[in-house]
Amino acid sequence: MAEVHVIGQIMGATGFSESSLLCKWGVHTGPGFVSPWAAWKLLSGVREGQTQVDTPQIGDMAYWSHPIDLHFATKGLQGWPRLHLQVWSQDSFGRCQLAGYGFCHVPSSPGTHQLDCPTWRPLGSWREQLARAFVGGGPQLLHGDAIYSGADRYRLHTTSGGTVHLELSLLLRHFDRYGVEC
Amino acid sequence: MAAAAPSVFLLMVNGQVESAQFPEYDDLYCKYCFVYGQDWAPTAGLEEGISQITSKSQDARRALVWNFPIDVTFKSTNPYGCSDEVGEAQPETLSSDCLRRAEPGDWGSAVWPLNGSPPSITAVLPPVPSPLLLLQDPALSQGIPHGLTPALSFEGPQIVLSVYGPDVFGNDVVRGYGAVHVPLSPGRHKKTIPMFVPESTSKLQKFTSWFMGRRPEYTDPKVVAQGEGREVTRVRSQGFVTLLFNVVTKDMRKLGYDTGPPDTQGVSGPSPPQGLPR
Repeated sequence: MAEVHVIGQIMGATGFSESSLLCKWGVHTGPGFVSPWAAWKLLSGVREGQTQVDTPQIGDMAYWSHPIDLHFATKGLQGWPRLHLQVWSQDSFGRCQLAGYGFCHVPSSPGTHQLDCPTWRPLGSWREQLARAFVGGGPQLLHGDAIYSGADRYRLHTTSGGTVHLELSLLLRHFDRYGVEC
Repeated sequence: MAAAAPSVFLLMVNGQVESAQFPEYDDLYCKYCFVYGQDWAPTAGLEEGISQITSKSQDARRALVWNFPIDVTFKSTNPYGCSDEVGEAQPETLSSDCLRRAEPGDWGSAVWPLNGSPPSITAVLPPVPSPLLLLQDPALSQGIPHGLTPALSFEGPQIVLSVYGPDVFGNDVVRGYGAVHVPLSPGRHKKTIPMFVPESTSKLQKFTSWFMGRRPEYTDPKVVAQGEGREVTRVRSQGFVTLLFNVVTKDMRKLGYDTGPPDTQGVSGPSPPQGLPR
């Protein structure tokens, strides 16, 4: 089996209108349906997590420096891992409001990569937008898989959020044995 | 005689903690230490260090320069690997703290619910962030059924930096924590990492800690190298530290690892906002 190591950090985010931000992240591999045995196996590392809440003092980039260290073994190329992100902002009362959803594929060539993942959030009706401006809250997705799959996206009307910056290093093993060029 | 296949590889890292940018603070010193999983062991060099105290230069750059050397060599020790047989590597045999079986569309045990009304955080966040942070030892892949070729389950080494400086009353307080993975590809790498401090929970605690000189800090700075437990912390990012690494590896290619193109220029990391010296 070929192996993939993903080592890096979720550096931070820019371009969001709110300032105290946090990010919930997860990695999804494989096809969208339940298969008897998944082609990708997570051998070590945590598949999902949540970063700290950062309030930047300098500039407008919120920094998380959240480490990602994953080790996958795979039998096939389908279902290359995707990192999905939810950025939330926290106000001084401790309430959280959705700032954006985003996803990006884990890079497929070995080496270090700087990734910029754009985000979006559902808009809702004009009433919900007004309520969000005054009271906070706003519509959220019921099922997280709409973030990384295109299946039911046509129903959504969204607006864009800021950008999440990641730095990931890929280390591949035994891919040349199987004739795969990355 | 035929050379036997190597069973371990070496990662040699040298470099320096070059400089820092902290617009609001002066007279700082830094401590570094390496955090690594069970599969790594340092074989040479120093794992920890404390630098000198430096002051900002008088010129326009206002730079804080340490030029503090780093020199360490790691050896990989894990004899286990990943079998070539389909379905041999069973996630269930691994520690359940860190791993879960792959399930599509699985968001799992996230701290906050995804649907319905915005989550109420008060139930989740403890009143005081820092002292309650547990240093959970990330359990690694122990006893993966087996392997013919040596491999790593990882937890690649990270360098954790803590920067300290005096406050108005002369007490030594923490000015920032930061961590970054040691690059695994050979070559020269320059990394600029953001530094952050935990924040006080309430305005009263903020004033008391300013007055008494006891700011919120992590009981063990190594927590910064982990992802677990961070979701209940609130921090303030207030500076940057620039590090330089030169990495040389031995036998990684023989063991089947492909680290990508050699990186001879290697400038990475976030750029500090305009106006600050790089």
